[in-house]
Amino acid sequence: MGLWLSKLYDVFSEFSGSTPARILMLGLDAAGKTTILYKIKLNENVHTIPTIGFNVETVSPVKGVSFTVWDVGGQEKIRRLWQHYYQNTEGLVYIVDSNDKERLSEAKEELHGILNSDEMRGVPVVVVANKQDLPRSMSPSEVADGLGLPKMTGRKWYIHGACATTGEGIFESMKEMANLVKNNKKY
Amino acid sequence: MSSETCNSFDLSDLTPEEKLLLDSIRKRKLQLLQEIQELKDEIADVQSEMDMIDVSDGSQNNPKTKQMSIGKKKFNMDPKKGIEYLIDHQLLPNTPEEVAKFLFQGEGLNKTAIGDYLGEAKEFNISVLKAFVNLHEFSDMILVQALRQFLWSFRLPGEAQKIDRMMECFAERYCELNPGMFTSTGISLYESIKNEPFKIPEDDGNDLMHTFFNPDKEGWLWKQGGRVKNWKRRWFILNDNCLYYFQFTTDKEPKGIIPLENIQVREVPTEKANKPNCFELYTPVQDIIKACKMDKEGKVVEGKHSVYRMSAATKDDKDEWIRCIKASISENPFYDMLAARRKKVLHQK
Repeated sequence: MGLWLSKLYDVFSEFSGSTPARILMLGLDAAGKTTILYKIKLNENVHTIPTIGFNVETVSPVKGVSFTVWDVGGQEKIRRLWQHYYQNTEGLVYIVDSNDKERLSEAKEELHGILNSDEMRGVPVVVVANKQDLPRSMSPSEVADGLGLPKMTGRKWYIHGACATTGEGIFESMKEMANLVKNNKKY
Repeated sequence: MSSETCNSFDLSDLTPEEKLLLDSIRKRKLQLLQEIQELKDEIADVQSEMDMIDVSDGSQNNPKTKQMSIGKKKFNMDPKKGIEYLIDHQLLPNTPEEVAKFLFQGEGLNKTAIGDYLGEAKEFNISVLKAFVNLHEFSDMILVQALRQFLWSFRLPGEAQKIDRMMECFAERYCELNPGMFTSTGISLYESIKNEPFKIPEDDGNDLMHTFFNPDKEGWLWKQGGRVKNWKRRWFILNDNCLYYFQFTTDKEPKGIIPLENIQVREVPTEKANKPNCFELYTPVQDIIKACKMDKEGKVVEGKHSVYRMSAATKDDKDEWIRCIKASISENPFYDMLAARRKKVLHQK
């Protein structure tokens, strides 16, 4: 509890710095976006329901870096609204359910749909291969291939296995996002 | 903004044991709230099932019309499922000719979805494509004119194989209706296309047609600004537990989104609002209602409203909005907990 509080203190002490980078968190429904958001924000497991509209939180996963994370509902019907949030986005966190082999191609299609839009040109992507704790889950490299990441050009990308409920891999993914965003800003 | 009064006692006065106890009580409360929510959801499910039964009794609106619009909605999201639904509900005979006619009329259908369906390589879809092309009347039309008409009726999919199949069908039909056309059209064809470029239906697959199709309620309302208290007329759409507002009915992107989550709605007396038929969204727990809007540069930013005040044209309309919004509000105990956490953190700071 004490550690957690000091972490939170860090978060708020950094607010005084530069404006937070704008991060968009997308993925198919039930991939674990909201669970991950609140794992970062509160370090707590929450039982979420399908997101109504969106969630937005300011978080600081790494000292000196703060993100405004927009977690937008992933249900098929409202996915067309994703583009509403593209403008000025500095990084994309794309969450994939590694256990859902059947919908990997759908996840790929949606990802490329996002990346092909003008507003997202050059924006770095961190893919979180979530639900690694499940026995039949695909490895991060399988997920990367399934999404066609190795063939992608014109942007930096990174993939990390994770388990939202234990928090494993989440922190690392966010750290990498911070690096990519920082490096991207230099240009 | 005077919501701090409830926190007047000091938590630091408690002994560690009392704090632990408090924590466990809070946890238990959360659990209970969650269970309550689950039960509520179950009730809502049963309720909606019961509503469906009512509809098929034919007591309210015409159920066929309702099913038809559901079918079209499904079609726009997934053409295959939509057609299956319409056939299953006997709204569409299971023949390529009838399906083609339905697509040709195209009322309320997304042109990208029509293109996707016609482009499928399945035997049935190919028969539908043929029937669809045959519904076009190309007699005595020059080729460009015919092409223009054809390409306006759906949006050509991106895949070369699909385009190939479609254009072949078109060519067959055109030649059948215009024998001996291909002798001297070379120059006029080039000139025509040069003078008037092809128009493809304005539909980039990103339109929100199926997101906002068949909403729970829609209409004009006056909305009061958050900081500057002026009133602006906005087109509101209530759909899937969210309230969207637009500057114009034809706008593709909403100007603002208000998820109807852990908020409440109430009437506002005319004297208080200086405007008739007012109601407002407010939150008993948080200071600010979760919402977003598009700023001047087109960037989405967080909303800053502690209340959203709206004014309807008539009393009936206001009552109807309040009723519909109430029915759409979702309660998730987690967000109340979150709000409490935020406050706590702010106090510690």
